[in-house]
Amino acid sequence: MADIKVAPDDVKADMTIDCKGLSCPMPLLKTKKAIQKLQSGQILEVLGTDPGSRNDIPGWCERAGHEYLGEKQDQGFIRFYVKKG
Amino acid sequence: MSVLKEKIKGVYEGLCAKNWSPLMGGILLAFFVVLLETWYRPWGIVGGLRNWADWFFYGLGLYEDEPPHPLWFSSSILDIGLVWGAFISAALAREFGIRVPPKIEFIKAIVAGILMGIGSALAMGCNVGGFYMAVNNLAANGLVMMIGLIFGVILGVKYLYWELEHFPSAGGFEISFRKINPILGVIALIGLLLATKAYFGSEADDGATLGGCLILTAAIGYTMHRSRFCMVNALREPFMTGEAVMGKALAISLILSAIGIAILKYNEFRPEMAYVTPTFGIGALLGGFIFGAAMVVAGGCGSGSLWRVAEGQVKLVVVVIFFALTNSLVRHLFAEYEVIESGYLGKAIFMPEYLGYAGTLFLIALAVIVWYIVIDWNEDTNKLVLEM
Repeated sequence: MADIKVAPDDVKADMTIDCKGLSCPMPLLKTKKAIQKLQSGQILEVLGTDPGSRNDIPGWCERAGHEYLGEKQDQGFIRFYVKKG
Repeated sequence: MSVLKEKIKGVYEGLCAKNWSPLMGGILLAFFVVLLETWYRPWGIVGGLRNWADWFFYGLGLYEDEPPHPLWFSSSILDIGLVWGAFISAALAREFGIRVPPKIEFIKAIVAGILMGIGSALAMGCNVGGFYMAVNNLAANGLVMMIGLIFGVILGVKYLYWELEHFPSAGGFEISFRKINPILGVIALIGLLLATKAYFGSEADDGATLGGCLILTAAIGYTMHRSRFCMVNALREPFMTGEAVMGKALAISLILSAIGIAILKYNEFRPEMAYVTPTFGIGALLGGFIFGAAMVVAGGCGSGSLWRVAEGQVKLVVVVIFFALTNSLVRHLFAEYEVIESGYLGKAIFMPEYLGYAGTLFLIALAVIVWYIVIDWNEDTNKLVLEM
């Protein structure tokens, strides 16, 4: 695992996308597309299973001006949270 | 916790749990491929996959000649070692799990695998043998394949954008083995050491040679997985997100390994024509283009597909199967019609014959530096990023 940033307990998503079972680069591409539909300050939840997303999503957030809020481990998948910048 | 325990935990986490940087991955990859070539031969992927597929078709009665035994054939051992090492990395970091993608991904995997098989047959190697190891073995076809790969990658990214609009997918799942991952990792590590010892202890002439190949490619697999070193990522991200970290790591890895292998060849420690294939021409260019587009859709190149297989990505298992089968069939057809011998794919150009060793290294460094500057500039400007 990478250095993991844990998302706050009270984080609430405005939109959720399912990227479970997908491998690189599809989770990031779907994230990139979905965030276009949100307003600034809204939160996107990405459900994924690819360990590579732990690098890809935070790295992309930094470049694209979004805030990576962290992740939560669930049963058999991970919830990633991105706040649109 | 005592200071000593904390230090031991820190070392374990650094070696086995946390991701290594792409740059560290690139430097270590260069180190291990030079060691492997010093030990016995250049690193490659497709030859091993083809050997496994050859057995399949031989079993069906399609091929007349019996292929070499996969456990006593160096090309096959290179792939076994890579998968084994990557599995150890994935399991020790609790990242191994069976990841089943949505249905559309299976169709993409089959099509991409077939195209990767065709592309790698034309280029006589995938991104590893046809590009990375060709360039660092001072073969001109490697640079030509790089051009083909870049344009193929652009097409692949455009396809993925189109697909997102027209075929949204969901419904994949993972069968997790998180709890037992470390145990699986330790078992695999012990197994690797025992297998290596068995090769070194065998009475076969090439036992020690293959044992060295196994442990060195396991180190490559471990390194690639731990750093998630991915040549698709390196070539794709400048056009998809603008990110250049992996692209820069690949550039540094290429030049370091080229210097190391140039020394081996200059001193006649290895044959100069090793990994110089007669594909300088349409073979490397078209093969690179097809392979580049397909590897983006597959989500893994030759090496990247294998280490993702080792972490349980079912899509990449399908990719690798169709990649291997198609490459075997196309190369079989090439042999039947003497396509390679007739020079249809291009010429075999060992660059030092024309430019000298210094001139060749200068050319490779120049190509790598231009690539480095362009993706660095693009990282700030996003000029090359394709609009979604």
